[in-house]
Amino acid sequence: MAIQSPNPVVRLRDVHKAYGSGAGRTPVLRGVSLEVQSGEVVALVGQSGSGKSTLLNIVGGLDDADSGGVEVLGVDYAVARDAALSRLRNDRIGFVFQFFNLLDHMDCLANVILPASFARETRGGPRGAIERGRAVLDRVGLTELAHRRPSELSGGQKQRVAIARALFHSPELLLCDEPTGNLDTDTGREVIELFTDINRKDGVTLLIVTHEERVSSTAGRVIRISDGCILDGDGQAEARAEERSA
Amino acid sequence: MMSPGRLARLVGHNAIRNRRHFALSAFGIVVGIAAFIFFLALSMGVRGWVLELFPIDQVEVIAPRTSLIGSLGMESQADLNDAVAAKIREHDGVRAVVPRMSIAFPALGVWWYQDTKLKFDVVGDGINPTYLADEPQGALFRDYEAEEKGKPAVQCGPAPKLFCPDLNYCDTRNNTCHHRVPMLVSRKLVEIYNTQFAKSRGLPVIGAMEEFIVQRGGLSKMRLHLDLGATMIEATTSTLRGPPRRIEGVLLGISDKAIPIGVTVPIGYVERWNREYLGDEAASTYSSIVVQLDGKDQVGPFASWVEKQLGLRLQDSQGQQFATVIFVVTLFFLLISFCIVTISAINIAHNFFMQVSERRREIGLLRALGASQADIRGVFLGEAALIGLVAGVVGMGAAVATGTAVNLLARQFLPDLPFQPASFFAFEWWILAGGLVFSVLFCLLGGFLPARKAARMAPAQALAQQ
Repeated sequence: MAIQSPNPVVRLRDVHKAYGSGAGRTPVLRGVSLEVQSGEVVALVGQSGSGKSTLLNIVGGLDDADSGGVEVLGVDYAVARDAALSRLRNDRIGFVFQFFNLLDHMDCLANVILPASFARETRGGPRGAIERGRAVLDRVGLTELAHRRPSELSGGQKQRVAIARALFHSPELLLCDEPTGNLDTDTGREVIELFTDINRKDGVTLLIVTHEERVSSTAGRVIRISDGCILDGDGQAEARAEERSA
Repeated sequence: MMSPGRLARLVGHNAIRNRRHFALSAFGIVVGIAAFIFFLALSMGVRGWVLELFPIDQVEVIAPRTSLIGSLGMESQADLNDAVAAKIREHDGVRAVVPRMSIAFPALGVWWYQDTKLKFDVVGDGINPTYLADEPQGALFRDYEAEEKGKPAVQCGPAPKLFCPDLNYCDTRNNTCHHRVPMLVSRKLVEIYNTQFAKSRGLPVIGAMEEFIVQRGGLSKMRLHLDLGATMIEATTSTLRGPPRRIEGVLLGISDKAIPIGVTVPIGYVERWNREYLGDEAASTYSSIVVQLDGKDQVGPFASWVEKQLGLRLQDSQGQQFATVIFVVTLFFLLISFCIVTISAINIAHNFFMQVSERRREIGLLRALGASQADIRGVFLGEAALIGLVAGVVGMGAAVATGTAVNLLARQFLPDLPFQPASFFAFEWWILAGGLVFSVLFCLLGGFLPARKAARMAPAQALAQQ
């Protein structure tokens, strides 16, 4: 059952999404409804191809839902235009990816302050952006690596830089897609601890896509997805009732 | 939309990272823009030079050819006189009217040069000295005979031998001194002397006229004899009213206003000589009337008026003919440059499409970090514009360097002729700026579709690229 709350950070209502067309059309999300409250740490778990990454992309405005309602941080995606969605991603949402997505022709600091390039205004101008970049690098414990290229870093360090970049504009919502999927156990644990710290100290809402038990075990709530549907507590698909009624 | 400063930083980062792609894309544009600037500057340089020699806002009114004499290449001059000159002077758009009068009787020139006695039948005409007032030789190009009138004559002669002052000669008819008749020749005549005459007779080529005069020992050594009423052509049968007599002239230098083949002297001399040898009618009939108009746009209406109202015509303007030929040749080369730049723009589009494909994941990342579609479009168009800017500057430099090299080679290998300009190129600011603008515009054109494709890419799918 979806949780009802007056001002959730994320609110999805009967979201459908399919790829392809005609006979090759493959449904990925089938009537997903979901609410995430401010300050929550929510783990989205499910098998590969279950639709959890697609769900995360739709929440982040990186993909469109075919139907249904999506409202994130008070912005209704149905009416928001590209510029408004871009501003939302830039100011209020942070992304952390499995493969880090750092630009190798820039050093760590330049990667971290990259979101400032698209900001409407950055406090203190370019110098302010650099100061802020150093501060978030310090937060993830990589101050001394500010001028190293990503190719010179270990996997864990790269992910820390990526987290620093996600934190650059002090987001309210952090969307993480398999953040430990490319890390060894110890490094993965460090990253999980960092997320926990960010959530506890900054009150950032975390929505983490993972298939690792050690990650989901740290979440306040675990949402399981299977075949594009959210499973209820006993492992039954919420959408089953809808399918019956359809 | 990103601020220009941030966009420039991001574009700069990308350009440094993709140096090879950048160089490959820029190469064609460099060649195209260099060719564009080179040919346009060459065209403008040569055009300016030709129009300096043959100004097109200056026309020459002549009498129409009569059917019988015209077939022999001779022209009737009966209608060109002071009355016609006055009518032309009153016409709208006419700035100056300068009648020319041909020496209408035979005359024989003798010039001692490098121990060689050069003898030639003289063709010449006269013009008003005020027409040359703004030229270096203007101060010396005067009707001295008219100025000497009424003044006591300085005596010279065989016994006791008296000498005339510098630049004067002794008229043996009455043993009096007279200033030598000032004469000017055209560049064309000097060119003919250099290329046709000097070579075959082992005489030195005349380079800069001023240097030549100094080498000869100054103007006092630039004298030549003119035997009025004499000729080397034995078949000449003209009835002259006066006996042959010798005068002396001084060659002051070169002028573009001089008759193309022959010598030009102040018109007062020609009037008196024509009267002396042929009578009053020959002294009041002009061979042509040079008309300076307010602008080249006036040429058409003026030509029409001259033909309809005066029954006269304009001599074909060589300047206009040359300018037309240069325009056509320039157009041809500009078309080639345009083709090169267009092909380069297509090449840029191809390279950018490849870039968009290779940088899908980066585009997706930028979108995730808050780049709007307009920002992505701006980044790719910014890169295209940067290629255009750099290629334009390099192309500009290449064109100027090539032009300079051509000038140097021309100076080294072409003979030092009076026709040769200081530079064959006019690298005007608007040509350089135009080249730069074209370069940037064509690159933006090439980058437009790839930039649009990049901007429209779905971020989630772009990020999914491995």
